[in-house]
Amino acid sequence: MQPILINAALIGYVGATGLALAYLVQRHDLVHRLTVLCALAGWAAHTVALILRAVELGAPPLGTLPDAISVGVWGIVLLEVLIEQRTGVRVLGAFVLPVVVVLSLKVTGAPARTLAPALASAWIWIHIALAMVGIAAFVFNFAGAIMYLLQERQLKTKRPGAFYYRLPALQTLDRLTFRTLALGFPFLTTGLVLGAMWARVAWGSAFTFDPLAFFSLVAWVIYAGTLAGRAAAGWHGRRAAYFSIFGFVALVVTLGAGLFLPGRHGS
Amino acid sequence: MPLFVAGLSHRNAPVALREQLAVDEDKLRELLVDLQASDVLREVVVLSTCNRVEVYGVAEAPGEARALAFRALCRHRGVDLGTVEPLLYTHLDADAVRHAFRVSASLDSMMIGEPQILGQVKDAFALAQACEAVGPHLHPLFSQAFNVAKRVRTETEIARHAVSVSFAAVELAKKIFDGLGGRAVLLVGAGKMSELAAKHLVEQGAFPIYVANRTWARALELARALAGTAVPWDELPTALAAVDIVVTSTGATEPVVTRAAVMRVMHGRRGRPLFFIDIAVPRDVEAGVDGLDDVYRYDIDDLKQVVDANLRERAREAQRAESLVDREVGKFLARQGDAEVIPTIVSLRARLEEIRLGEVKKTLARLPEVTPETRAAIDALSSAMVNKILHAPITKLRESSRAGASRSWLELVHELFGLGRRS
Repeated sequence: MQPILINAALIGYVGATGLALAYLVQRHDLVHRLTVLCALAGWAAHTVALILRAVELGAPPLGTLPDAISVGVWGIVLLEVLIEQRTGVRVLGAFVLPVVVVLSLKVTGAPARTLAPALASAWIWIHIALAMVGIAAFVFNFAGAIMYLLQERQLKTKRPGAFYYRLPALQTLDRLTFRTLALGFPFLTTGLVLGAMWARVAWGSAFTFDPLAFFSLVAWVIYAGTLAGRAAAGWHGRRAAYFSIFGFVALVVTLGAGLFLPGRHGS
Repeated sequence: MPLFVAGLSHRNAPVALREQLAVDEDKLRELLVDLQASDVLREVVVLSTCNRVEVYGVAEAPGEARALAFRALCRHRGVDLGTVEPLLYTHLDADAVRHAFRVSASLDSMMIGEPQILGQVKDAFALAQACEAVGPHLHPLFSQAFNVAKRVRTETEIARHAVSVSFAAVELAKKIFDGLGGRAVLLVGAGKMSELAAKHLVEQGAFPIYVANRTWARALELARALAGTAVPWDELPTALAAVDIVVTSTGATEPVVTRAAVMRVMHGRRGRPLFFIDIAVPRDVEAGVDGLDDVYRYDIDDLKQVVDANLRERAREAQRAESLVDREVGKFLARQGDAEVIPTIVSLRARLEEIRLGEVKKTLARLPEVTPETRAAIDALSSAMVNKILHAPITKLRESSRAGASRSWLELVHELFGLGRRS
């Protein structure tokens, strides 16, 4: 049942992504309504799948990286729909949903597994949950950065196209990227610190090499630099947007390393 | 009863003729009363704007009604009917409904999406109502036309994007700044167009307004008009640091805002964007400022380009609006059609049921010893026959009403089945 539901969710997300991209070109209310419908249908299937998974494991489905990502994706889709409703920025889906699909790809069909006994502790759940909240915030940070660059390009080239009409004001987008950065960073930081502390307890050393841990540190450094630049050096706009994108690329590499390279986070 | 619209508009009639035919409200009232007095027009609404003169009416003979209406109109305005007659277009029934919807929704306007026309149609309708010239045909038509117009406005963007240079500049500012409330504006030079742009910005909440001009007296004058502050010409570079939007329109032959000056102020602005609206020819702001971060400069040609893009966007939206109107016309006709044929269907059924019951009674009277089963069988048989016979005519009536051509069929059914005169 679970694989079917997870696949249904993925189909829903892929459909919603296609429709969201179509909405950029063909601005039709119906297209947008279908996008939301598709995303919510996928999300509903996803919810049931996660509940079944939790029942099966007898624990929150966060014990393996694919499971944790799955929960993260679930939260991102919900936030995406809510933020669109609240702010009226209907094109947000076109920038968030593709990321959702990419993150979901490895989630399907991963074998159910709970944590190794050596790892089972409340701290590890908090470590995983905080990291996921951070990642969710950075997905929106990334979307905001892309939207900023597109709108800035339109205004600088003075040739209004689809994006000029669809996207919000530059300052709004810049504020969105700043806020999501300020929100995600503490979560990511705490998540990393807890991870390191836990590693010390479990394996006796906080800094044994692990691909995911290594790349997440890279992402953290980029985000820390961006935040510092924004707060202290007045970074904003295009430069801040570029750094947000670099940070997100590092984050995606981090998750990829965790999924595909052998290591302590390995699947 | 046929519905028609006849008239002329900016599409086919020259402005000279349109302005000759345009009627003011008092004259319109007279005209409506005159037209009502004749037996030819059952209901009538006259729409007279600078872009169109149209008569919406309900009449047995639309051709005659049209001639009557425009003869009266030409007489009122002293125009020769001969020059008007060849320019008139006429739409009947479904086409008239579509025309009413399109006009109200501003799809037939010279500037697609302009907002005035709906108000004008509403006024025309209200006037006709006041003159008791509106009845069961035109009332639902116009009510629905207003609904459709509202839907088109809210569900499409035909009225969204600015079609004038000064409004386009305001929209650009809204795509740069997070709202215009409290944004400081500096006017450099005192052209009419920059004053207009400044007014639009103020309407959107921009504040405060500074005015710089080489002629101090003129700066003071304009500052007073806009409730702003005059700034000495020499302090222009300092003023640049404090404001968000700069509107320039001097007659200077050399740029008054240089790249170097802008570069100097950008350092202290901490990322606050600076938006130049340069309406002057030759231009007042050096094009080189385009290369600076957070600086956006639109000269008159750029703004015209934006307006062109907006017009294309409106045209795209108009296509969506047209299909919305098409659907609404279909729905309206179906509702109207049903309303038109249902009384006939009811009386047709009643007539045949009456015949059936009479004949069943007669038959049963002639058969003294029938069992209840036989009685029931006779009843069922007669009912089945009546239903079979009625099926085809009723289906045909419904179909014809949906196609908007029920009138002749209704007449025919009334004649054939002896249902008496239709009201």
